[in-house]
Amino acid sequence: MLKATNLTKKYGSFTALNGLDLLVKDGEIFCLLGANGAGKSTTINLFLNFIEPTEGEASINSLDVTQYGKETKQLLSYIPENLMLYPNLTGLENLDFFCGVGNKKYDKEQLETLLYQSGLQPDFIHKRVSSYSKGMRQKVGIALARAREASVLLLDEPTSGLDPKASNEFSELLLDMKEKGVATLMATHDLFRAKVTGTHIGIMKEGVLIERFASDEVSFQDLEKLYLKHMYN
Amino acid sequence: MRLISLIAWKEIKTALREKLVLALGGIIVLLLGLSLFAGYLNYEQQQTIITQTQEVKRQEWLNQGDKHPHIAAHYGTFVFKPKTVLSLFDFGLDTYTGTSVYLEAHHQHEFMFRPAQDHSSMIRFGELSAALVLQILMPLLIIFLAFASFTRERESGTLKLLMSQGVSFQTLTWGKILAYGAILAVFLFPFLMGIMLISVGEFQQDAIPDVAIRLLLFALLYGVYLFLFIAFSVWVSLCSSTGRNALLTLLSSWIFLAILMPKTVVNLSENVYQLPSMREFKAAIEEDKANGLDGKSTRSIRMARLEKEYLEKYGMDSVQQLPFNFEGVSMQAGEEYNNKIYDYHLGKLRKIFQQQNRLGSMASLFNPFLSVQHLSMALSGTDPHTFIHFEDEVEDYRRELVRKMNNDMAENSHYGEFYGYKAGSELWAEVEDFSYQTPTALALLKHYWIEVISLAFWLGIILLLIFYTNRKLKPLYG
Repeated sequence: MLKATNLTKKYGSFTALNGLDLLVKDGEIFCLLGANGAGKSTTINLFLNFIEPTEGEASINSLDVTQYGKETKQLLSYIPENLMLYPNLTGLENLDFFCGVGNKKYDKEQLETLLYQSGLQPDFIHKRVSSYSKGMRQKVGIALARAREASVLLLDEPTSGLDPKASNEFSELLLDMKEKGVATLMATHDLFRAKVTGTHIGIMKEGVLIERFASDEVSFQDLEKLYLKHMYN
Repeated sequence: MRLISLIAWKEIKTALREKLVLALGGIIVLLLGLSLFAGYLNYEQQQTIITQTQEVKRQEWLNQGDKHPHIAAHYGTFVFKPKTVLSLFDFGLDTYTGTSVYLEAHHQHEFMFRPAQDHSSMIRFGELSAALVLQILMPLLIIFLAFASFTRERESGTLKLLMSQGVSFQTLTWGKILAYGAILAVFLFPFLMGIMLISVGEFQQDAIPDVAIRLLLFALLYGVYLFLFIAFSVWVSLCSSTGRNALLTLLSSWIFLAILMPKTVVNLSENVYQLPSMREFKAAIEEDKANGLDGKSTRSIRMARLEKEYLEKYGMDSVQQLPFNFEGVSMQAGEEYNNKIYDYHLGKLRKIFQQQNRLGSMASLFNPFLSVQHLSMALSGTDPHTFIHFEDEVEDYRRELVRKMNNDMAENSHYGEFYGYKAGSELWAEVEDFSYQTPTALALLKHYWIEVISLAFWLGIILLLIFYTNRKLKPLYG
C-alpha cells in the first residue's frame, strides 16, 4: 500500500508538488497522467526517498519513507523510463546482481525462469545487455520486480519508447503482478496504456492532482477529452 | 560486508570486460616485469663487478710488497658501495651518487662510476624502475579504472536503480574501492612474487640486514599509496556531475602531484638553499689547509707549534731525541687537522643538504606522492641518509687506515730515515677489508617522520571526505 499525505516538494519558490493526498491499495494500479513537469516523477522520487519532502509524508505499508528508508526499499521495486543495466554483464548476471543487493538469492535456473516468464527471449538471457533493446531491458526490470517479491511497484513512464507489442507485453506483466496483490504507482504519458492497465487514474497539472477516478468509470474517448481539457484550458 | 563484496565482485567483472582497462593493466604488468628484470640484471652485473673488483683491490693492497707505510697510505685502496637487493626496485640516488671511492692519505676523493655518467641526457627524465611504474603509472591505471565509477552509474541511471534497492552510498563506495584494490592486487601479484623470490635468493649476500622487514614496509607503503589514489579517484567520481569532469579533475591532480610539484619542490629547494660548486668546496678546503681554520695558522706555524708541544712534554731539545719517530706523529697530526677542516666544510655542505631535504619533507605534507617517493628510496637503501651513512663509514675506514700507517711509522721507524723504513704484509693485513651494512629500516625512518605523518594525515583526510560526502549525498539533488 502506498500513501501520500499532503505531500509537497518545493525548490525555492518553485513548487514541484503541492499537497498530494493519494492512496494506492494492494492489487491496485494507479496511473498518474500529466505533461512534463506536472509532478509525476517528483511523486515517484519522493516515494523512493531520493528527495526529501518539503511538507507532508509518503509512506509504504504505513512506514514513512524518510524515517524507514532502508525498510521501505525492501518492499518496493522501481522501473524508470529507461531501465539502464550494466552493459558489460548479461541479463542473467544483472538480475543476479540486483537480486543480491536486494537480499534475494536465487539459483541460476530460477533466474532463467524469472527472465523467461518476464518475456525475455531465451537466447538473450546469456547475452550482454549492451545488445538489448529498451523493451528487453524493461523485461529484466519486471523480472527483478518479481524476484524481489515486491509489494509495491513504482514505475516512471516505463512504456515510453516501447513499440506497441512490447508495451502490450509489459501491460500483461503488470496485470499479472496486480493479481498477486502488488500496489503499483505508474507515471505515464500513455493514455491508452493507463486506461487498459490502471485500476485508477489521476491527472496532474503544475504539481497538483486535479482529477482522479476509477478507470472503469470512463471510456477511452472521455479520458482523452478530460485530459486535453485539463492540459489546454 | 556481504553487500560490499557483492558490489566489488560486480565491479571486478565489469572492469575486466573493459578493453581499455585490460590493455592498460597489461601494459603496466609488462612494464613492471621489464623494470624488475632490467633492475635484476643491473643488480647482478653491478654486484658481480663490485665483488670481483673489491677482491682484486683487496689482493692488491695485501700484496703491494714491502714499502714505507706512508707510501702505502698514498698507494691507498678502493672501496665499493654494495648494491642492495632492494635497489633493483627503486634506484633512488644510486644513479647519481657513484659506487666506488679511492681512499688515500690527506685527501677525501669524490665518488666515482655514477651510472648517470654513462647515460644520455634522457636520464634526466628518470630511468624505468619498478618504483617509477608504481608511483607514476599505476595511479594512471587507477584513474582510468575509477574515474567513472559513480558518474557512469549516475549518468546511466543504474545508481537510481541501486539506491531503490536500499544500497547506500557508503556501501557502494567501499565496494568499488575494494574492487579496484583487488584488481590492482591481481595485476601486482606476479611482481610481488618476483621481488620476494629475488630478495630471498639474494638475502645471504645483501648489505641490508633487515630485508624481510623492509619488504613488509614496502607492501604497507605502496598499499597505503595505492589505496589513497583509489579512494581519491572514487571520491572525485562520487562528487563529479559527469565522467568528463571527474577525468579532468583526476588527470590534473595527477599531473600536479606526480610531475609538476616534485620538480618544483626540487628547483625551489635548490634555489632557496644553494650549494657551493665542487670547485668552490675544494678550494675552501685547500685554503684552510694552507692557512688554518682561523686564517693565520699556516702549515709551518702548526708544525712548529706541534714540535714545541712534544719537546716540552718529553723534556727534550730536539725531535731526534724523542722515543718515537716524530715524522709519524706530525703526519698523523696533519691528517687530523685536515680531517677537522674537511668535517667543518662537509658539515656546512650537509646542513644545506639537510635544509633542502627538510623542504622536500615539508612539501610532502601537501603531496603524499613525495612521501612515498622519499620512503621508497629509504626502504630500498638508495636515499640520501643511507648514502651519508655509507660516506661516513668510508671516511672512518680511510681515517683508520691512515692512522694505522702513521702510527706504525712513528713506532717503528727513526727520524730522518723516511724512505729507508719498510713495512710488510703483516701491517697491510691489520687493515681489515671494508664491509658495509646499511642502517636498519627503523633507524632510517627516524629521518622520515614527516613523510610518515603525511601519509597518515592524507589517509585520515580521505576517509573523512568519503564518510562526510556519503552522508550528505542523495541520488538526486534537491
